This record gives sequence, C-alpha cells and structure tokens, in this order.
Amino acid sequence: MTLQEYLLLAAALFSVGLYGALSQQSIVMIMMGLELMANAVIVGGAAFWYFASPARPDGQVVVLVAVTLMAVDMAIGFAVTTAIFRRRDIDVTDSAADLKG
Amino acid sequence: MWTQIVFGVCAAGSVATGVAVFRVDSMARATFALLASFLFAAGTILLLNLAYLGVLVVLMMIMEMVVMVVFMLMYMMNPAGLTPMTMVHNQKGSLAIAGGVFAALAACIFLVPWPTSGQPRPADPTRALGEALMGSKMLVMMVLGLCLFATMVATVVLATHRGRYDRYGDALRAKRPDDPVRGGLDR
Amino acid sequence: MTLWLLIALPLVGGTALLVAGRPADRVAPAVGVAAAVVTVVLAVVAAVSRPEVSAPLLSGLRIGLAVDGLSAVMVLTVAVVLVAVLVFAAGEFGADESRARFHGLMLVFAGAMLVTVTARDLVVLLMAWEVMGACSYALIGFWWREDHRVGSGTLAFLTTRTADLGLYLAAGAALAGGVAGLTLAGLPTAADGWRDVVAAGIVLAAAGKSAQLPFSFWLSRAMDGPSPVSALLHSATMVAAGAYLLLRLEPLLAATAWASTVVAWVGVLTALILGAVAVVQRDLKQVLAASTCSQIGFMVLAAGAGGPAAGAGQLVAHAATKSLLFLGAGAWLVGLGTKDLRRLEGAARRYPFLGVVFTIGALTLAGVPPLSIWVSKDAVLATALADSPALYVVGLAAALVSGAYAGRVLAIVWKPADTPGSPLSRLLLWPLPVLAAAAALLGIGGLPVLADRFARLVGGPEVPAPTWVELAASGLIAVIGVAAAAAWTRSRTPESRVLADWLHLERATRMAVAQPVVRLAAGLARFDDRVVDGGVRAAAATGAALGRLATLRVEVSIDGVVRGIAGGARALGRWAPRPQTGQLHHYYAQAAVALGVLAVLLMIL
Repeated sequence: MTLQEYLLLAAALFSVGLYGALSQQSIVMIMMGLELMANAVIVGGAAFWYFASPARPDGQVVVLVAVTLMAVDMAIGFAVTTAIFRRRDIDVTDSAADLKG
Repeated sequence: MWTQIVFGVCAAGSVATGVAVFRVDSMARATFALLASFLFAAGTILLLNLAYLGVLVVLMMIMEMVVMVVFMLMYMMNPAGLTPMTMVHNQKGSLAIAGGVFAALAACIFLVPWPTSGQPRPADPTRALGEALMGSKMLVMMVLGLCLFATMVATVVLATHRGRYDRYGDALRAKRPDDPVRGGLDR
Repeated sequence: MTLWLLIALPLVGGTALLVAGRPADRVAPAVGVAAAVVTVVLAVVAAVSRPEVSAPLLSGLRIGLAVDGLSAVMVLTVAVVLVAVLVFAAGEFGADESRARFHGLMLVFAGAMLVTVTARDLVVLLMAWEVMGACSYALIGFWWREDHRVGSGTLAFLTTRTADLGLYLAAGAALAGGVAGLTLAGLPTAADGWRDVVAAGIVLAAAGKSAQLPFSFWLSRAMDGPSPVSALLHSATMVAAGAYLLLRLEPLLAATAWASTVVAWVGVLTALILGAVAVVQRDLKQVLAASTCSQIGFMVLAAGAGGPAAGAGQLVAHAATKSLLFLGAGAWLVGLGTKDLRRLEGAARRYPFLGVVFTIGALTLAGVPPLSIWVSKDAVLATALADSPALYVVGLAAALVSGAYAGRVLAIVWKPADTPGSPLSRLLLWPLPVLAAAAALLGIGGLPVLADRFARLVGGPEVPAPTWVELAASGLIAVIGVAAAAAWTRSRTPESRVLADWLHLERATRMAVAQPVVRLAAGLARFDDRVVDGGVRAAAATGAALGRLATLRVEVSIDGVVRGIAGGARALGRWAPRPQTGQLHHYYAQAAVALGVLAVLLMIL
C-alpha cells in the first residue's frame, strides 16, 4: 500500500471513465463515465490525505465534495435528458447537434 | 500483508468492473457493474482508516445506482440484454485519448517525488473532518448546501412537463388553470 | 520741357488715334494736321532755344535728348514736311479708308524720327530706329488686303532690320570699348579695336536704312505704299536718317582709318549707279525711288569726305524737293489713276498747276542753277574734291545722270495732251506750292555769309567752299543732261534689263541670303522633329513598354501572391468551423486533448 499504487488505481479509473465519456452515445452512459472519473478523484483524494498530509482534514473535504458532485451531476443530467426526451423523443447525444458550425 | 492483498483485490476488482460497465449488453447490468466498481473503491478507502467516508460512499452509491437503474429502464431499449448492443462513436479516438492520458498520468506518478508527511496520523479522522467542516471549512459546507438546493430547483424546473405558463397561459393570476391537457396540480 | 513736349505730342497723339481705331476715322485728319502744326511751332521754339534734357533708363545709361545745330535743322525739316504730307493725306484718303490708323501711324513715325534726330545716346537712337522701321512696315502695307503690298512691307522691314543688327553690334562694341553711357559724342573715344567694330556696325546700319548699295532694292518695293508715305518716309525722313547718323558720327568715321573712305565711295557709287537705274525705269514712283537713293548717296559722300554741313544742306534741299515730287506723283495717281510713265504722257498739260509745280521740283532735282540742290550738291562735291579727285569725277558723272532722269520725266509729262483731267481736291494741291517755294529758294543758303553761318551751326571740320568754276561746271553739266535726255526721249527710250530690275539686287539677295536661311530653318525643324522629339517619343514608348512588361510579368506574380494569401485565408476560414460539429463527444475529446497539452506545457515551463 503505497501512494503510487493508490494513484495508479486512480489513474486507471480515470482513464476508463474518460474512454466511456468520449465513446458512448447514450447520455446516461456518458454520465456513467463521468461517475467513474469522480470515483477516481475520491480514491486519489483519500490517498493524498493518508500519505501526504494526514494532519489536516483537507483531503477528506475533497472526497466529500467529490461525492456531492456525483450526486448533483447525476440529478441535473437526468433532468436534461428528460427535457430533451420530452421534446424530441431521443436519448442519444448525436442528435443534439444544435451547436454545429 | 493482508492489507496488501485486500488492496490488490479491491483495486483490480474496481478497474475490472469499471471496464465491464461499457462492455455489457444490458443497461441494468452496466449500472450494477458501476455500483460494484464503487464498492471496491470504497473498500480501498476503508483500508486507509477512513471509516466514515468509506461507508458514506457505499451508501450513497447504492442509492444513486438504484435511481439510475430506474431511469435507464425508462429511456433505453433492451433492458434485459437479450440482444447484443454497442452504441459507441469515435471508439478508436477515445481509446487513443484514454490510453494517452493513462500513460501520461502513470509517468507522472512514478517520476514525481511525492512529499511525505512526518506527522502522525490522527486517531479519529472522522472527528477531525467534522470539526473542520463545522469550523474552518464552513464555507465548503455552505456552498455544498446551496449547490444541492440549486440542483433540486433546477431539476424540477427542467423536468416539469407542463409548468404554470403552459397551464395558465397569459392569465397567470386566474384562480383556475385553463389547461386543455387534463391532470396536473391545482385541480 | 519744350523738347519733351515736342517728342511726346506726336507720339501720344498718334498712339491715341491708333488705339481709338475706326470710330475715330472722322476726326483723324483734323487731329493729325493739328498735331503736326503744333509740332512745327514746338520745333521752331526748340530750334531757337536749343534745350537739352535727360532721364534715367538703366544703371549707367540715360535717355539723353538735345537739340544742337544739326538737330535743329533736322527737327524743322521733319516738322514742315510732316504738315505738308498730312494735309495732302487728308485730301487723298476717302471716307471709307482707315484714316485714324494712317494718321496715327504717321504721327508715331514722326515722333520716332524726332527722337532719332535729337538723340544723344546710342540706346535711345536704337529704340527710335526700331519704331521707325515698324511704322514703315505698317505704312507700306497700309492697304493690307492686297498681298503684294504686305509682301513689300515685309521685305522692306526685314532688309532694314537685318542691317540694324549693325547698330546692335556697334552698341555692344561701344559697351565693350568703354564708352561711358553710350553717348554718340563719346563713340570716337572707344578703345582701338572696338572702335573699328563700332564704325563697321554704324556704317552697315546706315547703309541699310538709307537704301545704299547693296541694300537699295527694298526702296523699290516700298513704293507699293500710299504716296504720302513715300513722300514722308521714303524720301525726306526715314531714308535720310541713315545719312543723318553718318553726318552726326562724322568724327567717328574720321577717327577710324578705313571708315570714311568706304563710306564716301559707297555713297558716290550709289549716286552714279542708282541714277543710271532711274533713267530706265518705266514707273514714275520707281524713278523717284532710284533718284532718292542716288541723292542720299551724295549725303553719304559728304559724311565720308568730312563735310557734315554740306551733307546737312543736301538733306534739307532734297527733303523739300523729293516730298514735292512724290506728292505730285500722288496727285496724278489720284487724278489719272496711273503711275506708269507711258500712260502719264501729257499729264502736265492736263493738270497745268500740278505740271508747273512738278517741273520746278524736277529741275531742282536735276541740279539746275540757281535752285537749291545745285548749291548743296556743289558743296558736297567741293568736300569730295578736297578729299580725293576721283570722288569728284564720279560725283560729276552722277550729277550728269541725275539731270538725265529728271529731263526724261519732264519730256514725257509735257508731251501734248488733249483733255484736261478730272478736278482734284484742293487739299491735294495746297501743300505743293509751299514745298516748291522751299525747294527753289533754299538755294539762297549758298551765299557765302549764310553758308558760313550754316556751317558753324552744324559744326564739323573746315571745308573749302565751292569755287565759281566748280559751280559753273556742275550747273552746265546738269543743263546738258536735262536737254540731252529730253531730246533723246522723243526718239526712243533706253532699255537695259539689268538696270531696269535694279541690278537684280532683290533676286540676288533672295538667293544668297533668304533661301539658305529658310533651308537651314527647315533642316533645324526636321532635326527638332526627328531627333529631339524622337528622343522624347522614344522615352515615352520605352516607359509604356516597361509598363506593359510589368503588367504581364511583375503584376501577375504580385497579384498571384496576393490572391494566394486571400485564398489561404479563405481556406482557413472554411476549416475553422469544422471542429464545431455540435457533437458533445467531439467537444469532450477536444477539451481532453487541450487540457493534456496545457498540463504538459505547465510541467515543462
């Protein structure tokens, strides 16, 4: 259990989450990728707290913020998906190309 | 020794289930794979003597995933995974970018001289966190609270099917709504 | 003051008439005659009081006018002849002719002549000389609708103007020779070599203006002008101005070794040869013109031989006589419509009064005693004898010839005629008796007392007076000449083509001088057009060709560069929106890559 192992775990989770966010077509699957990235932040924050500065609680606060972030982004994401689904009856991002050009 | 093995198992499991999220055919299975990934990650956190945070992550993730399963089933076809399904775009590019990022981060991890702290670890990290949140990190607490409240309002606004502008039309102060679509509030 | 008035009155009056133009035609004769009369009065006053004035002109040069003895004589002569001629002109020109132009030009001419004879500086003399030449041109070509007359005026002007270059040469040489203020009296004091140049220039100019050989042909052509013009300009005054100049500058001629000899021989040869020319002419005015050249030859002889008083006397006598004769010829022209001698046969019998007056003039011209020209010519011949006997002999021959031509004309006009001519205006006839009286009676000046006073008045070296022998000899020769010519004219008319054509001088000058100059001018014009203009045109063509080359090669490549830049910018513009696909995952991928690059940069830097 060293810092490098934890960080490696965090990096792996982050990369997988990035792959998902970039490659998935469905909005919900993209959100899953984002969750994985936040998961990586949680692991990384905890590892830094434990190995680099255990005397201060700043690392734990980071973990807390990441958890809250995950909840918030899931809520907003589903609200937006609902709004789009009601309007256009789709749930993939490829059709929402309104910002093209 | 035992911690090392547990850590290895948890780490491997977390990454594997994370990959599995995007490989399985069913949305429900993907959601639960994600849940598994979170549980393994929480396991590694518990190994760091962060009891409160680990339990927090476990509980929160279970709630979230269950909610997400409901939404998944609402929006996606093929919930049971009876037919193979991959809906991806730009797979090669994404793999390249993800691989590049992982390589860069790994290089940084091994090359950077991380600082070590000589100070002793606190006996009760939960207490330290609580005192910090109520004390010096009060601002974080308040911002998080506001953020959550704002999210609630925003999601309701976005998700409302027909708001009062749709139902009341121009006469916003009328006693009864003039709505051709039956149902909704204020009946 | 008198002198300025004397000069200014004809000049200003003439200019006013010229500027007024046709509207002043009715008053012009009266104004002209009035101005002339006042001029006579002023001339008498000036001759008596001998004023002297000067005004500044340029630095170191002044306008100096003075009336000394010689100038007094000249001023009176000019004024009196002017009056006579203008009265005649008032009668000759009808109501539809441009009388204002005529009288204006005559007055301006008279003013210029007065300046010439009173000038003390070469510069003033030159200016007045040129004005006289210009007025002569304008007056000879008075009836300008006839090209031949204008051509005659141009020829006369060009010939005298070319000879006037001598005067400019003399002025330049005088300036170089160090004559202070260019005064006429100071010319003999110029430095040696320059003095010769000055003398040469003066002789050339005087010979040209006075129609001496070889310039005589212009006076023949000048007869195309009206008769009053011939009477004033081309007998009494302008052609005499050359002789006057030589008389005035007699000290200069004497100071130079060769000038006086040349001048004397030119004068006497002109007198002889042009007299011969006069004998064979068929036109009355041509006879008078040749006779003018001949008589002025005597004046020039006097200047060369060193007797300015004799020359001055000859000048006055000739002025009265010749103007009388020209006015008479003019009257016959008005009355009979011709000046051809064959058709003028018997003209004197048809107009008896005119005939008598003309006869007096002709006999005076011949030198018959005791009329004025006999006296003055003898004074001239005495001066010539004192200088060289050869001159005297040739001069006697010239006197014989002058008797011959006068006799011939008299014989022709007194031939029997039948009908009297149509009446002439009285204005035409009034001046004539006055002039005849002057012509006849001025011979009194030959009496020794008066001759001495005249000689002292004019100045100049001492010359012996003519002896009784000489006087008798010349008188006899003149009478013989007249009688012989009269007798011989009844039988046949002498013919000589060379003499009749004035020694072919005009044709010779045209071939020797005019045509080479014109050809040179044409050659220079061609050079200018081909070489000079050609150079300019070649430069322009080169510029245009370079411009076309630049347009084809240079501008194309520069345009290409500019177009390339514009095309590149347009292509970049087309490429710029391509990342904006609207696809969310594209934006994520771009953000991830950008963040990675930024992180690497931050770590490196």
